[in-house]
Amino acid sequence: MKKTTLNILIIGGGVAGMAAAQTFADQDVAIHLVEKESVLGGHAAMWACMATDTCQNCGACLSIEMADQVQKQENVISHLDTIVEAINKKDQGYEVILEDKETFSVEKIIMATGFSPFNPVQINSFHYDEYKNVITTADLNTILQEETLSGYFNGKPDPKIAFIQCVGSRNRELGKDYCSQVCCKISMRHAGKLTHLYPESDITLFHMDLQVIGKEIRSLFNTLSKNIALVQGVPAEILEDNQTKMLNIVVEDKETLSRVSRAFDLIVLSVGMQPSPTLETTAGILDLKSNSWGFFNTDQAALSRDVVIAGCANGPKDILTSKQEGRIAAAKIMDDLGLNEKKELNIAVFGEGIQADRTARIISSKGYHTYLFGPGTDPENDRRIISISGTAGSFSLYYESKNKKQYLTCAAIIAAVEPEQSLNRLDSLTNPSLSLDAFSQMVEETPDTCPDTSIIMLDYFGPEFKYSARLALKTAVKVKALGKNISIIMNKMLVHGAMGQRIYDTARQQGVNFFRFEACEDLKLEDSGNGFLIKLKEATLPSIELNLNCDCLVLPPNLTPAAGFKDTAALLRQSLDREGFLQSANIRHRLTRSPRKGIFFAGTCHDETDKDDLNNEINEILSEFATESFDLPAVETGVEINQEMCAQCLTCIRICPHSAIVMNQKNRPQIVADSCFSCHLCVSNCPAYAIESKTLANDQIAQKVEKNKMVILACERSSALAAGRLTLPDNITLIPIPCACRISSDVILKALLNGASKVIVAGCHEDNCRSLEGSNIADASVRKVLSIPGMDAAKVAWEPIAANETRKLENIISKA
Amino acid sequence: MNTATINKKSDLYKMLNQFELGDNISECLTCGACNSRCTWFDGEGGPLPRQIIRMAALGLDEQLVNSNMLWDCLLCNRCTQGCPMGITMDKVVRKARSLVIADDNIPKDIKTGIKNRIELGDVNALTKEEFVETVEWVSEEFVDEVDDPKAEIPHDIKGTKLLYLPNPRELGINLLHLTAMAKLFYATKETWTLSAHHTDVTNWGYFVGNDDITKKMALMVVEPAEELGVETLVLSECGHGYHALKYLLEDIIGRKPGFEVVSMPELILRYAKKGLLKFDPGVHPYKVAYHDPCNIGRKSGGYDAPRELLSMVCEGVVELIPSREDGVCCGGGGGILQDSTSKNKRMITGKPKADQMKATGLPHLATACLSCHRQLSELSNHFKLGIKVDTVASLTSESLIL
Repeated sequence: MKKTTLNILIIGGGVAGMAAAQTFADQDVAIHLVEKESVLGGHAAMWACMATDTCQNCGACLSIEMADQVQKQENVISHLDTIVEAINKKDQGYEVILEDKETFSVEKIIMATGFSPFNPVQINSFHYDEYKNVITTADLNTILQEETLSGYFNGKPDPKIAFIQCVGSRNRELGKDYCSQVCCKISMRHAGKLTHLYPESDITLFHMDLQVIGKEIRSLFNTLSKNIALVQGVPAEILEDNQTKMLNIVVEDKETLSRVSRAFDLIVLSVGMQPSPTLETTAGILDLKSNSWGFFNTDQAALSRDVVIAGCANGPKDILTSKQEGRIAAAKIMDDLGLNEKKELNIAVFGEGIQADRTARIISSKGYHTYLFGPGTDPENDRRIISISGTAGSFSLYYESKNKKQYLTCAAIIAAVEPEQSLNRLDSLTNPSLSLDAFSQMVEETPDTCPDTSIIMLDYFGPEFKYSARLALKTAVKVKALGKNISIIMNKMLVHGAMGQRIYDTARQQGVNFFRFEACEDLKLEDSGNGFLIKLKEATLPSIELNLNCDCLVLPPNLTPAAGFKDTAALLRQSLDREGFLQSANIRHRLTRSPRKGIFFAGTCHDETDKDDLNNEINEILSEFATESFDLPAVETGVEINQEMCAQCLTCIRICPHSAIVMNQKNRPQIVADSCFSCHLCVSNCPAYAIESKTLANDQIAQKVEKNKMVILACERSSALAAGRLTLPDNITLIPIPCACRISSDVILKALLNGASKVIVAGCHEDNCRSLEGSNIADASVRKVLSIPGMDAAKVAWEPIAANETRKLENIISKA
Repeated sequence: MNTATINKKSDLYKMLNQFELGDNISECLTCGACNSRCTWFDGEGGPLPRQIIRMAALGLDEQLVNSNMLWDCLLCNRCTQGCPMGITMDKVVRKARSLVIADDNIPKDIKTGIKNRIELGDVNALTKEEFVETVEWVSEEFVDEVDDPKAEIPHDIKGTKLLYLPNPRELGINLLHLTAMAKLFYATKETWTLSAHHTDVTNWGYFVGNDDITKKMALMVVEPAEELGVETLVLSECGHGYHALKYLLEDIIGRKPGFEVVSMPELILRYAKKGLLKFDPGVHPYKVAYHDPCNIGRKSGGYDAPRELLSMVCEGVVELIPSREDGVCCGGGGGILQDSTSKNKRMITGKPKADQMKATGLPHLATACLSCHRQLSELSNHFKLGIKVDTVASLTSESLIL
């Protein structure tokens, strides 16, 4: 069913373009998608898998999965291997002419043209085009994908490797005074991958200000800082030693107060993002004005009413945020064209602060009936939830209000609860310090009372949060404008967002002092009269101890999980992450989703967000409301509970990762098709064998096994996609399964009995399974089979193979 | 460990942070790129560029002056080439050298040279009589060499097209170089002259960062040249002379001079391109490596003229690695060569250059600065490189077909 004639064009089939296309397709809106390459996927599809023992949440494999799904959509008219040659403005809409002269008319255009990596040839002193072992992040991705890394180390087990950050970013002289947002994350993941592949390697990551933002990167940073050297200061020159062919970098040696030369086997230049040439051409055709960087992410740039921009064309960003922007762009266009069916949906928002208020207000303004649980900012609101049952589209909330217990049926639930904000203070100090928020408010509201000398201290009491870093910068600039002195003491400055670097530049231009410290021991704080004396071993001046005096010491608050998070998680049947925040690590559900359909997270309860992030999250959730079909009839799950065999043990209800099995009115377990993910975990775990699969029963799988051939039981969201472009040799049988958790030891044994020469179970890396524990369950099944006395250990194996690990799969097959 | 308090009212801070003009080194990102590019490389001692900038940006004048980094710095600007915030090190260091509290750190020879120049008109205190005597003596030698009785080395003539501003060494220990230059002028068939007011292409005011002295010295060249009414002032091959008198001249004197300024290699190249000068490259039947003087190359953009000219007078130019923007200082920059007590230090600062020279495997090297020329020759001897170092103009003169 098509809702409209084709009148939308998406330029670019990368993550943002595909996400937009999928969003339209979900709503049966047909669109044109133009991609210059012969396959969908964009840059992300060329990225290597970063998994070590567990998934590192980079999201690269996601783009291959998206490409697979988008290609299957009837409503997506893909024009591959071609570019837009001309677009003519008409009275209404545009006439689009492709390179192959195909012509069609559209009303709206999404520009999702992506980015191009900075070419380091522009900086001679890196000798990128001369020295073979000076490579870029993009090169390293290719090398990792092709598994050719060892060729760079001459067989050394302990190579010395350096990463140099900010190559082509944060450089005003190159006209790139912006942070590329993703390079620190990429290099940290790369470094983690390399330590995994070469445990004896010696890795140094040279950075300007390591952008540790978000819970996953914080946890990666904590692990990495024990395994590699993270050094502030980015070398700008590499020289090859004529004899040894090692790559030399000169760095400051803080011990001897001199310069020392360090030799490396491989140096990775962490190159920044710049607009793709396609964006420039397309913007030219459409007569749009980009900003001085060539992007459209600042006020300088101007778009037209009928053109929406998404993904990296709109400034550097990561895969998941690109996906988010693609969805939001599509939702906006459907709104503009009046294609969104107004649904009568009840939405519940949980929370007790500004974020919940904001979320509820925006959701409500879009016409949804919104119920706020928890007082929000209204102390009168006393709704308290007792229990939640049901599934997406019809959750049943049992709650108490005004001493009355009531039920509410709602389609979706958004958790936007507030974390605990605690004011940091140092017990050894008597004089009171000020919270950053209070200080900022004072500067804003009573500037006359601003002290002569203030110091904002970041990073000291805990991780620096981006919200605090930005507030510190903005407040410092205002203080400077009042003619007062202000300093910021930091370990690193976070320069996230399009304007981050420029705001930081402005602060320095205006004379805000910045001081760096490496470790908390480098700072000593004392009372001094009514103010403070800070004795600082400044990181850039190792031979001097600086005495900094101030009247006012300003400290950012610390964010920790609130006491109520556990209860909220239990109510939602969701697990907490390692730090105790909501939403456990699972890349395929981010940014706002949970594994349980209809349950969403927004704001700081689940990850580091600022106001813009929260707005984007709310918009993304709204796009889900508009496009996800909460109230559709059942889809084909392929799974059915045989009620006659059911022993009512409730195992299935307990283990379903998607909470898609509920007790029906007859007190029987029932699968809710619309929330079911077809992972088949219930099938392989039902003790009474009462849950039947239509096509993937144990015997049905075993029947596909051919004698004396190796069988690969491959998750269709990862390993089977990795096999997608391969021609499998005759001695291999690949059986796609919906999730690795389908594979119980029974299935493996039946396959062996049917004559398989070897059984490989292949699926996602741990922490990347869409059904959460699928990889662990498959691994456990394999180990169970291997523990059978007399079992040949070479006959069964578990292999995590992500969708972008085709070469890894090939290597496994070649050993068959 | 020294303790210090930042001082945003310090003299240096005020000089380097002119907020209203948008010109301030407080913009330093502390990215550390400069640390990896100091010409001292991993030699012992020497400056740490980021520390210099940081001390200057925080008003730690005393700590900076006491650090000994100011006169270890070669003003080569290699460190800040490609600085993301466009900070230039030579400006920072020169301003710091100009501080009253830094006065005692100025090498004695440089102080004497400046005094001579300001009071007597010449850095080596060459008198007018000595100048005339020297020029006339060289002129006689020159007549013999070109075998033309009408040839001469003219001096103090009004209204010529060209005025040559020699390096003091050409009127002292390297008279042959002056003869070689005279031969080139002679071949151009243009009117030219030397001048008793123009015995010195140097400007040591630049080394000590004193704007008044720098300007005074520049005007000592500009005003008498304007009086002579010359069309073109031709600079002898001198790095900082080129930077001060060509690249920075208008900034220094605050106006356009009444004549054009070119270097000797630039002048000769111009005539060669017009076909008015011809050379026999067979005189130097070998390849010659070229050293970029920092002041001419990186600091003034004069990379190409010397290379083009050199390629006409030998078998070809070989690049040192790295070169051009990333060229390594000879180790004698920033006034260090002018300090007679610095020989030992210069063999440390010049070690990376010596390594580069050795790596070419060639016995011939040319440069376009007489200071570099001296330092490079000393490096060749000290490190037993067996490399003959010439200036581009002197090789050109040797290849000249009269």
